Amino acid sequence: MQEAERAVMHMHTRRHFLKESAMGLGALALGSFLGSCGNSIPGNNVVFDPAHPLMPKLPPFPGNAKSVIYLHMAGAPSQLELFDYKPELMKMDGQDCPKSLLEGKRFAFIRGVPKMMGPQAKFAQYGQSGAWVSEHMPHLSTIVDELSFLKAVTTDQFNHAPAQLLVHTGSPRMGRPSLGSWVTYGLGTENQNLPGFVVLTSGGKTPDAGKSVWGSGFLPSVYQGVQCRSEGSPVLFMNDPDGMNRDLRKESIDAINEVNQQEYAEYKDPEILSRISQYEMAYKMQISAPEVMNINNEPAYIHEMYGTKPGHACFANNVLLARKLVEKGVRFVQLFDWGWDSHGSDASLAIDIGFINKCREVDKCITALILDLKQRGLLEETLVVWGGEFGRTPMMENREGKKMPFKGRDHHTEAFTIWMAGAGIKKGFCYGETDEIGYSAISGKVEPFDIQATILNQLGFDHEKFTYQFQGRPFRLTDTRGKVIEDVLA
Amino acid sequence: MKKTLLATSVLIIAVLIFIISTRQKSIDFTTQVKPIINRNCITCHGGVRQKGGFSLLFREEALAKTKSGKLAIIPGDPDHSEMIRRITLKDPEDRMPYKHNPLSKEEIEILTKWIKEGAPWGEHWAYVPVKEVPVPQPKSFFGLISKKSDWPENEVDNFIEQKFGEQKLKPSPRADKQTLLRRVSLDITGLTPGAGISKKFLEDNSEHAYADLVDSLLASPHYGEKWTSMWLDLARYADTKGYERDDSRSIWKYRDWLIRSFNEDKPYDQFLTEQIAGDLIPDATDEQYIATAFHRNTMTNDEGGTDNEEFRTAAVLDRVNTTWQAILGTTFACVQCHSHPYDPFKHDDYYKFMAFFNDTRDEDTEADYPLLRSYTDSMEHQVSAVVNWLKQNVSAGKSKEINTFLKTWQPSYNSLTCDSFINSELSDTKWLALRDHAQCRLKNVDLQNKNQLIFRYQAYVPGGIWKIHTDSPSGNVIATIALPKIKDDWVITQTKIKENKGIHDLYFTYSNPNLKKPEDNGVIFDWFYFTQDLPGKDKPGYGEIKKKYEELYSSIVPTTPVMMDNPPDMHRVSNVFERGNWLVKGDKVTPDVPESLNPFPSNAPHNRMGLAMWIVSKQNPLTARTMVNRVWEQLFGTGLAETLEDLGSQGTLPTHPELLDWLSYQFMYEDNWSVKKLIRRIVMSATYQQDSKITPSLLSKDPFNKYYARGSRVRLSAEQVRDQALCISGEFCDSMYGPSVYPWQPKGIWLSPWNGKDWEQSKGNQQYRRALYTYWKRSAAYPSMITFDGISREVCTARRIRTNTPLQALATLNDSAYIDMARHFAHRMQAASGGDLQKQIKDGYQWATFHAIDEKSLLALLKLYNAALDEFKNDKDKTCEILGGMSSDAKPETAALTVVANAILNLDEVLTKN
Repeated sequence: MQEAERAVMHMHTRRHFLKESAMGLGALALGSFLGSCGNSIPGNNVVFDPAHPLMPKLPPFPGNAKSVIYLHMAGAPSQLELFDYKPELMKMDGQDCPKSLLEGKRFAFIRGVPKMMGPQAKFAQYGQSGAWVSEHMPHLSTIVDELSFLKAVTTDQFNHAPAQLLVHTGSPRMGRPSLGSWVTYGLGTENQNLPGFVVLTSGGKTPDAGKSVWGSGFLPSVYQGVQCRSEGSPVLFMNDPDGMNRDLRKESIDAINEVNQQEYAEYKDPEILSRISQYEMAYKMQISAPEVMNINNEPAYIHEMYGTKPGHACFANNVLLARKLVEKGVRFVQLFDWGWDSHGSDASLAIDIGFINKCREVDKCITALILDLKQRGLLEETLVVWGGEFGRTPMMENREGKKMPFKGRDHHTEAFTIWMAGAGIKKGFCYGETDEIGYSAISGKVEPFDIQATILNQLGFDHEKFTYQFQGRPFRLTDTRGKVIEDVLA
Repeated sequence: MKKTLLATSVLIIAVLIFIISTRQKSIDFTTQVKPIINRNCITCHGGVRQKGGFSLLFREEALAKTKSGKLAIIPGDPDHSEMIRRITLKDPEDRMPYKHNPLSKEEIEILTKWIKEGAPWGEHWAYVPVKEVPVPQPKSFFGLISKKSDWPENEVDNFIEQKFGEQKLKPSPRADKQTLLRRVSLDITGLTPGAGISKKFLEDNSEHAYADLVDSLLASPHYGEKWTSMWLDLARYADTKGYERDDSRSIWKYRDWLIRSFNEDKPYDQFLTEQIAGDLIPDATDEQYIATAFHRNTMTNDEGGTDNEEFRTAAVLDRVNTTWQAILGTTFACVQCHSHPYDPFKHDDYYKFMAFFNDTRDEDTEADYPLLRSYTDSMEHQVSAVVNWLKQNVSAGKSKEINTFLKTWQPSYNSLTCDSFINSELSDTKWLALRDHAQCRLKNVDLQNKNQLIFRYQAYVPGGIWKIHTDSPSGNVIATIALPKIKDDWVITQTKIKENKGIHDLYFTYSNPNLKKPEDNGVIFDWFYFTQDLPGKDKPGYGEIKKKYEELYSSIVPTTPVMMDNPPDMHRVSNVFERGNWLVKGDKVTPDVPESLNPFPSNAPHNRMGLAMWIVSKQNPLTARTMVNRVWEQLFGTGLAETLEDLGSQGTLPTHPELLDWLSYQFMYEDNWSVKKLIRRIVMSATYQQDSKITPSLLSKDPFNKYYARGSRVRLSAEQVRDQALCISGEFCDSMYGPSVYPWQPKGIWLSPWNGKDWEQSKGNQQYRRALYTYWKRSAAYPSMITFDGISREVCTARRIRTNTPLQALATLNDSAYIDMARHFAHRMQAASGGDLQKQIKDGYQWATFHAIDEKSLLALLKLYNAALDEFKNDKDKTCEILGGMSSDAKPETAALTVVANAILNLDEVLTKN
């Protein structure tokens, strides 16, 4: 155990642990010295200090990952047009779906007997690993040797909100803590001048399950994701009010803390000292966060690499920002890009129109992210995950039993693709297989719980032991399920 | 010499007797054995896992034969009890606890002795009915009554003082009047006190000044608002339905019902009964129906493609969990999947309990049916006219039936229960939609004595013919209805149907030659109400009454979701869900309560009313304790048992169990469930009135103030932070009730898919209303309140965990809502104190903290003012900006004072209850 701690300490020291959080460590010491305000939260292995809830903590064993970037394509991208190449499906294109695929099944919108639909993209193999990638991801195809594809992911939720919740909170219902909340609860964060769990959204909408997918559930609310915004203040309430400049803000925090010192002299309540330090931290956050969150001062070649559009709200900007945040010690960065729900109900949701545009928006910047992390030596300690909440049917959607105006696919729970990269994940690897038309997983089947278990494992947690006592029982992210996907670990 | 010897031997004997007598004290299961079992054994030998066929959850299980055939526990015979053998083995392979450190010597001794004493089972403190508790009297060493302490103000203090002795603590002095005034006002009304009430108290030097203050605060209408705020977390109240679309729901009348109920001090037993079963009270009033919205705060899923039965079931499970969590302080959710691992609840218990809630009319419909329709006063008059006419001219039964229909449109069949679709489907999985040559089925419709169908629908294209057949698509046609095109809105209409007998499956067919494409919908239906043509045709006034009746049920009026049971022909069977999976149905169950608690009252019906009677029975061990513990937590920041959500064996033990029981007993038997009297009892205690200053000795002896030798200092709740700032700024709008309001909120918070709704800021003083009136959207709740540990209210939350983060500082420093309040606060200071700057700041500080400012603090704020003034004097634009763009009279002095006001609103003393 001691050795494990040493190893982790070493890992932390290697980067900005001490550099960025010297003040943080001071506060940590202060916090443990003074004790806390008495909220006892029965947890198994995590010390919760309400006065300094985000102080960095060591995981139970040294993990490969220090931080996570989770790229969620909200709406669920079609695996059949991206990574799961199914030439056999082409042969069935336009035929009635065989009864055997429909009996006893439920779909969100498909009714009666739909038609099969072949892949709406050309595929080729890339890299040394020979991974199949469609023409819609020309950039990503150049870095497949960095990625581990999970081709046989399944879920039991065929609606967006519950399925997204399942992926991020381990339960299809609202009210459980999200992955990022668990991670910041367990590890704190390394840079006290930035939120520990940042959420970035694009596509004009929040995910279907709303803020609950980055909610803290029954964990203290301090662990919920902090949504960074593309308009106005980058973090809510981060900007000084109109008319107040930085110096004046400093003056006013000094005055507040001076009065609070007088109060402390009278009451001697350690909580007053925590408040004083929180106001100091708030000020430091105000200074450093806008700087980190501004992508404009990145060099031109980086903008070129990511295909960013400074000044616009777009996914590419968020991806670049994610890299900056992770570099500055943010523990968990969660991206949601809305608009992947290719039902075929209008052009933007057509598998051969809107879907291709969505691919274009993400292909270049995601590729840049992997390469950029790599060139900075960050990929080995940053876990990158890409995926949606479920897959799409090999059948063409026929909502309410009718023909759709455009080509689309319905929600599908039995097979979809997620990929992971970095932080001790195998490079150029493919795990799991679906049947010849991509309908069901036939080998290497994994569930969202398994992916969660794997993510926690890479961060240094045994998902079965990482619990929190609530409603009378120890809850964990993976609930009663989940198995680390050992095959994808390097 | 002899004498000394005698004295010595007497002393030795006395000591020996003392030692032996204490030694022979028998082992207590609850406090000594159960903790060892819970810590070391129960994970493997409990409800979920019963390794080796051995479980320690119930006595009969523990004494039964294990898988190996051996008896783990033989009462009276530890030497032959397998459990003792296994915990004392040397070989770690066989020793229990398996793969863990061995039990300590003391633990083994306790278990051995316990078995020797017959292994009696004890009951957990919280599952034993509340009994009368004697108030402790101070005692000296030999049990002689010592001099009575003069500290206690009431019995609460006797309990608290008793523990002081054990902990070598002394009470703190009484807090000064200003502190007490602010504290008790924040606690009782959630607000800082108004000028009148403050002046009266501060100037009143009589003995009853404080009691009078407490009484006037309890009589304030703001009392109800504050305690409603607390209840809203438990009721998971929100103004939206949750899940993906998270659309609006009109349920604020329930919030108003709570405020009124608290203000009129409705006895807590009645308060609960109405919320659980108000609809089942004979001749229930509208208000009693609205009370049942408590359990309609469950989420409704409007996402297209979702299974309505799945989310109906989820709502029912949520009602079970919420009832236990909020009212019974017990975590019951674990029992959903398996018997409780720690507490005496079996898997079946959950589903028997669920059966109380499973037979209600709600079916995850988009409209949230069943709804109570709230008519205007004049319409209400007409409803009475119709109902009374029927009572006089037809029958009381018919009159009641029509009243129910007018008030709720029930009992009707929701179209989403249709199935067997051909050329038809549920549109967006919400409403039945028929196309040309459509066919579908509506199951199990009671047609006995029915000759009329009233239905709600939209028809897009003229020329549709809708036929209703019995028993098969080509069966007997009981109605043929031409559906003319109507405008884009729902219409309610009625048609004759052929009289029939008994229960039938109905088959609908529909054709419409005007439909161009096979995929075009011709009509969509919402619900069907099978009834009798309004009877009494031959009676005077029939025509007019019938007209009124039809106008009333077709009218559009405000509604509130309520609870209603299914009529017998719609009865829903309840089953156990195997391992909690709603799709895997096990044995049938009927409504019942867990055996391990108080018995179901013998005169009670086995429905929600009976359930309410069981809950509010004085024999129920949990109801009063849970509420008393919660009220204590509201007043002191921590419950007597810290885990408000769990008084069971996994919760924390109460610091003062006797006090909790004494208060619970008084609450039920003396005060007749009066919450106001309970609060009064606590705030009148000397314990509550203590100063909250901390000395080094207090900090080291009792860092978390578990023994209450000082007043508690607690950060204000999210609601209080806002409400107090409104009071200080002078902008507080004290209007009560009504639909939720929209105070200032940053842009871009609301972006739900498929929901184009925008946050439109309320006009005028409506934006300055108390926090509890803020529109609460579950998936995007009001951000600054969430920052201060507010709850998004998807599910019942029994306790908020307080945190202290820089984001909270940023909210009160920078949120425009708080800057706006600071601005008004600055104007208020200027208006009250003329041009005297020092007086302005002194006044402002006094209003915010109720204390005079000290010299150093004044200097700090003056320094801030001067720095700001320098800044603004040289910058007209910034002056205008901080003053919110009011350019004409934008004075640098006001701008600088706004900065000071902003600082005052951020002081620890302001954000904290001292």
